[in-house]
Amino acid sequence: MSILIDRTTRAIVMGATGSEGSFWTGHMVQLGTQVIAAVTPGKEGERVGDIPVYHTVHRALNARGPADAAMLFVPPRFTKDAVFECLDAGIKLIVTVADGIPLHDALQIRAAARASGTTIIGGNTSGIISPGKAMLGMFPYWIERVYKPGRIGVMTRSGSLTNEVTAMVVRAGFGVSTLVGVGGDPVPGMRFAEVLAALELDPETDAAVMIGELGGTMEEEAADMIRSKAFTKPLVAFVAGRHAPQGKRMGHAGAIISGGKGSALDKIHALQSAGALTADRASMVGTLLAEALAHFAPPRGITA
Amino acid sequence: MKLHEFQAKALFRDYGIPTPQGELANTVASSIEAANRIGYPCVLKSQVLRGGRGKAGLVDIVHDAEEARTASEFIFASDWKVRRVLVEPTVDHVRELYLSFSADAPSGAHLLLASADGGVEIEELARTAPDQIIRARIDSIRGIMPFEARALAYDLGLSPAIAKNFAPIVEKLYRLYVEKDAELAEINPLFLTSEGTFVAADAKISIDDNALFRHTEFQQEDADFDSDIAREAAAEGIPYLQFDGDISLMCAGAGLTTAVYDLVVDFGGSVANYLEFGGPNYRKSVRAMELCVRNNPKVILIVTFGTIARADIMAEGIVEAIGRLKPTCPIVTCIRGTGEEKAHEILRGAGLTPLIDTEEAVRSAVALSKGGRP
Repeated sequence: MSILIDRTTRAIVMGATGSEGSFWTGHMVQLGTQVIAAVTPGKEGERVGDIPVYHTVHRALNARGPADAAMLFVPPRFTKDAVFECLDAGIKLIVTVADGIPLHDALQIRAAARASGTTIIGGNTSGIISPGKAMLGMFPYWIERVYKPGRIGVMTRSGSLTNEVTAMVVRAGFGVSTLVGVGGDPVPGMRFAEVLAALELDPETDAAVMIGELGGTMEEEAADMIRSKAFTKPLVAFVAGRHAPQGKRMGHAGAIISGGKGSALDKIHALQSAGALTADRASMVGTLLAEALAHFAPPRGITA
Repeated sequence: MKLHEFQAKALFRDYGIPTPQGELANTVASSIEAANRIGYPCVLKSQVLRGGRGKAGLVDIVHDAEEARTASEFIFASDWKVRRVLVEPTVDHVRELYLSFSADAPSGAHLLLASADGGVEIEELARTAPDQIIRARIDSIRGIMPFEARALAYDLGLSPAIAKNFAPIVEKLYRLYVEKDAELAEINPLFLTSEGTFVAADAKISIDDNALFRHTEFQQEDADFDSDIAREAAAEGIPYLQFDGDISLMCAGAGLTTAVYDLVVDFGGSVANYLEFGGPNYRKSVRAMELCVRNNPKVILIVTFGTIARADIMAEGIVEAIGRLKPTCPIVTCIRGTGEEKAHEILRGAGLTPLIDTEEAVRSAVALSKGGRP
């Protein structure tokens, strides 16, 4: 098992005919992901590797059978349209890597995800990977000191920092069950709390690592999950931006303290008071994880 | 992208939201002339994007030409680099309200906030009178319905006659907020006049940068940037923030650069600038370093852990940049990810010591910035 994707997941890829799309589609297949079709309007009849291309999602599914997931390599301005095309076809897991989705589009995407019970990961993310099994997105899984299979669930708002922190998880002797990049935008489709709910139920995940940053309320929602016992496994959090000045947007669109809210320190306090372990530096994550797992006795009924 | 008050008020008028009839002035003399035309008392409001202009004395009510001169001289001489003053008549009012639209990320809805007790900032209101704030979530796919605007008016305790004037203001502000792709559209204070009508006394609008491609009517002005370097970086599409410390950060990825910023401060150093040359910009090493060098930093600190951005191509760019720019300050590199072995070879060939541990690299940079050894 793993959460959201595994070897049985049947995926389509939108935008697979572009240079980035075809590069990463090739790697998704190489890692073991089942890609049943590609969709690019106007390019039906072409192929990406062995994968047939169709004009629309409906035409792809008619020809190739149902899909569990859609991977979108679609520019930000066309992402809303692509997401709604997938929703219309009833696809229940959508991953979009687009960086720069307009805010109001992102709100509608989030609202539609909630209304339809669809999981939409991103935008502004590398996607999702269950090392050794499947990937929807763009992860350098060939870097062994980062993408080692294991029993730690990782969720992150950042791409670059994910490699940095996950390398520390692996250095401490652990590996990754599933890594979910929720993305760096102010309105992500899937939020940390929702990833935690999935990790809680995953028998192959022993603990979670959260790579957060300033801005928004996702880290506080994760703290609430611990407080309400909706997440009972150990959680180690690294929150970037402790020294970020008020009102400056630190790189990611979502990384801004506004109206005195969303500072990294507030988030760290919320997490600590809920019982999470917090790492000031990436290098501390592995040690804290080892410490947390040593003291953690799984509740009855849950097998470790 | 934040709009100036005069720009936001022009949009209000386009959408049928009444504002005071003001005039824009860009010198002391033209401010006084505008005040004379408008009549006294009137308000001089500095057009700056930073918050806190009121506390800095940059908004002033004046009662005659002499006061107008004193006030505008103070405004244009201040170190806020004020270039424009909005001169407006004062508006008689019986009440100040608050009204805004913004995004509610968890629900994916638009958040409508209102209070019958406006005039102070919403954060302060949230502290002092939280039960005075009314929140409504507006379905972002369906859009606002007239009943929602009516409900708000009555929840605020407005009388039927006044509620009838208020609800259209809510709908008009919503239309502006959606059609212009605003992150925030705020009227605070919204004046209720003795005739029962409404006038927007202030206007705050921030446009979503990611939606600017469908709003060519909004152009960032040169003077809105923190520095010339920040303006040039923006033109290049390189994320950049200006600071005034010792160490230039030339890193890849927003999260990693932010984490490196934290480490520099943790270890007792200071940051000259935040710069990202990852993602689509990873072939721009030369331009990135050129921007860093112009801050005269004591150290340039390069930290990356790339996926798409190939480490070897970044390393080649860095070596080329050093060759062309010949920076006099030391350079600390910590480049990892796809192609890192080759990258380290390239860096060694140029006489640099490639580090692979971020904390070690930051410690080394901080030590060098203080004149010590790495």
